Amino acid sequence: MNDTIALAMIAVVPIAIGAAMAAWAMRKISVSAIDGMTRQPEIAPQLFTAMLIGMALIEALCIYTLVVTLMLANKV
Amino acid sequence: MTEEAAKFAPLIVVVNMAFIALGLIILGRVLTSKPLTSGVPGPRQNVGEFMLDFFVSKAREIGDTRIVRVVAPFTATFFFIILGANLFAVLPFPLINRPPTSYFGITIGLALASVVGTLIMSMWANGAGKAIKHLFWPNPMQLISEITDVLSLGLRLFGNIAGEYMTIVLVTSVVAFGIPLILHVLGFIPAFVQALVFTLLTTSFIAGALTHGEEKAKKAKEPRKSKGIQTEVRKGFIARLRGHGEEVAADPTKSESALAPSVEVSKEA
Repeated sequence: MNDTIALAMIAVVPIAIGAAMAAWAMRKISVSAIDGMTRQPEIAPQLFTAMLIGMALIEALCIYTLVVTLMLANKV
Repeated sequence: MTEEAAKFAPLIVVVNMAFIALGLIILGRVLTSKPLTSGVPGPRQNVGEFMLDFFVSKAREIGDTRIVRVVAPFTATFFFIILGANLFAVLPFPLINRPPTSYFGITIGLALASVVGTLIMSMWANGAGKAIKHLFWPNPMQLISEITDVLSLGLRLFGNIAGEYMTIVLVTSVVAFGIPLILHVLGFIPAFVQALVFTLLTTSFIAGALTHGEEKAKKAKEPRKSKGIQTEVRKGFIARLRGHGEEVAADPTKSESALAPSVEVSKEA
């Protein structure tokens, strides 16, 4: 197999796994947050900011894989 | 087109940042062109307080008025600079619509400013010796945590905005009509959310840095005091939920301090 093709095939692996796992974790966060918001609408703004921070922390991991993918893709 | 843009990349960033700075200056000038809080608040004051109230309320969760006056302008400046920089991606102009936050240098600079500013604020509040000792003493990993804070803040902003911009460019190169409009509209969401996330994380870093020493001292001296403060906070929160009038009646000093910092902030901006 050509090296370039192999690199191109490897480069998509991190972002695929990272996006899938981050989506799974984000689903869990959003389900819990919406659950809490419907149960107690009074503290909805606080839950929303907490949800955003949690999502941002998870998203950072996904972004790391995106950076790795971009670094690999620049070599193709 | 892409090569041309790459050749002029530093120039584009400088021009974009100049636009943002100009916009902020004009905004501050417009908001403070008339003296505020003279009788009935006008629409200008409403706009200014609406934009700055969020940061003031977030900063007030950390501590007293002394802290709010320093923290709220800091975080509000970050929010508006990052929001202005992110919104360049949704401009319909060809060359200047590359957002400055899609360059790694800009985002890592903003993250460095955030973390170093947090450190300086911690020195200002707890004393330089305590702040530097806090980096090493309870666990030496705190220093590594500061470095990873810089990296994660910078990388998060860079990845989101660069990804959004790249999507727009790729789709525009395939279908140049109609479809990019949807992406431009969707581009508002990450622009706002990333600016908000950067600001919230900076606020939480500051909260961690400022309240660390105080909480420890309080716990050592009077261990039951913290419970009382918590119930006070809860009472204030319930009063705020019941309505504005009751809150003013319950705690007049708080509602006055709510107005004072925001006015000062908008005067400085």
